Amino acid sequence: MENAKTLQFEKPSFFTRLKGMLGVDFYRLFHTPLYFIFLAIAAIIPALVSMGAMGEGETAGMFTNAWQIIAADSPLYIISNMGEYANMNMVFIFGGIMVSIFIGHDYRSGYVKQLFTTHAKKEDYMISKTLVSAFSMVCMCFTYLIGGMIAGAATGLPFAINAGSFLCAILGKVIMSLGWASLYTFINIIFRRKFGISIALCFVLGTGIPVIGAAALVGNSVALNIFLYGSSVYACLSANFLSVLVCLACSLAWAVVYNVLGSVLLYRRDVY
Amino acid sequence: MNAIEIRGLTKSFRGMYALDDLNMTVPQGAIYGFIGENGSGKSTTEKCICGHLVPDKGKITLFGKPYTDAGVRARVGALIENAGCFPASSVYANLMMQAINLGLKDRAGEIGRVLKIVRMEDNAKLQFKKCSLGMKQRIGIAMALLGDPALLILDEPINGLDTDGMRLMREILVDITKNYGCTVLISSHILGELEKIATHYGIIRQGKMIREIAASEMDSRSQVYVSLKTGDMGLAFELLRSVGCKVQFAEEGLRVYDVEDTGSLAAYLMRSGQQIGEMKKHRIGLEEYYVSLMSGREAM
Repeated sequence: MENAKTLQFEKPSFFTRLKGMLGVDFYRLFHTPLYFIFLAIAAIIPALVSMGAMGEGETAGMFTNAWQIIAADSPLYIISNMGEYANMNMVFIFGGIMVSIFIGHDYRSGYVKQLFTTHAKKEDYMISKTLVSAFSMVCMCFTYLIGGMIAGAATGLPFAINAGSFLCAILGKVIMSLGWASLYTFINIIFRRKFGISIALCFVLGTGIPVIGAAALVGNSVALNIFLYGSSVYACLSANFLSVLVCLACSLAWAVVYNVLGSVLLYRRDVY
Repeated sequence: MNAIEIRGLTKSFRGMYALDDLNMTVPQGAIYGFIGENGSGKSTTEKCICGHLVPDKGKITLFGKPYTDAGVRARVGALIENAGCFPASSVYANLMMQAINLGLKDRAGEIGRVLKIVRMEDNAKLQFKKCSLGMKQRIGIAMALLGDPALLILDEPINGLDTDGMRLMREILVDITKNYGCTVLISSHILGELEKIATHYGIIRQGKMIREIAASEMDSRSQVYVSLKTGDMGLAFELLRSVGCKVQFAEEGLRVYDVEDTGSLAAYLMRSGQQIGEMKKHRIGLEEYYVSLMSGREAM
């Protein structure tokens, strides 16, 4: 051909590819209201939770310490009252919904075609979505923390706490965001455009119902820490450095598992 | 070097073959018109090239490298089915996302450049969902043009466009191949439009490539004929046959093939007492070639 020119194709490194994909995801995250809405939701949840502690009726008196709005006293997988359940772990439920909408829009708009046309390596998509989702959930954890402190102050409950344990609890929950994000990304890779199903499934898994059910059968066993919900519960107000390590191991292990499975699925299955 | 080379590509959906051992060769720098009926496998082929669909078997190479090569694929731009934009975001934001995705350095400059090519400079701030169909198609092209693509894959880009839009799209495609050295694979049903720009054609039927031909070859092989209506068509037919003309009855009257001098033909018929009602010179074009191939009889 007359107008044919000599072309050179530079092979982009993994980091160059990931930088591009992450750049798009962060741009989208910060330029759409979705992220900010969910940050606000995460900040409001503790206020709603604390209303139960301040009010009358069955839920009244479920907290004895303001920090219980943020994490449970001890790692109880069997739930006996809402006070043991309603804490920062709820971020992971709402985080699942956010991730489903975020990834679902990729597929519904058709933008995913642009991404997969220019990114031959499909693991880029999985890793990028996991990292961005984890970042969003970490941010939600922090807005929950701020909301929780304000709500705790409003309840008039004491703030007495072992600072080290509290930091370990927060750090543990922040670390768990990565594992949850990879699970939710994987679910959304399976259901793609049908993000209604993804939202429902993320909600069920985020509430920890399967682990709570397992706990009802096997008792309050530390073995349940192998699950994301189990380790999330383990990051409680009596947490220590070991708890952080358990969270790190669990979160990282599941992140690797879901990223590998998600990438394999993307390679083997049609994009849409 | 060929921009696209496909050998034995097969793709099925729930046991139904969309592509059946398809072969395709798109030379570098070509505007390759990909033609076929609805459901013949055009979009499936394009989606396989872009990595959206996983082929059952077969080999796809782009510029001599496997289509899974990250370096080559980073230089592929595509508009398949729709522009693939976020409806609530502005045209500019959508282009910015693609520019970031491609790791472009001068993003604003690149966006400005592609918007100028598709004549959309004044609509950058418009929300994508508020754009007309023609504008959306042009934005899709702009998305595909970002980052100096070596290969553009465009699926029905002129569908739904008005005459002006089609002309504009034609100008854009010719411009990017001439000035940017891009190879274009374009599928379309509007053969008249395709004929004006394509340098090569590929005709696909039921998942198989039935013919690949260069436009120049088609031009050199294309037949010229004269259609005419006379007072007595039967007599005119006999008269022309008697002097060795290749003639046949057709819908529009008589067709006389390989006529170089229409004036002599008219003079001969008039001398023989025939009154000529209508006389027109034709060249068998892409549409007739395509129809004849589809019906199993080749026109040339």
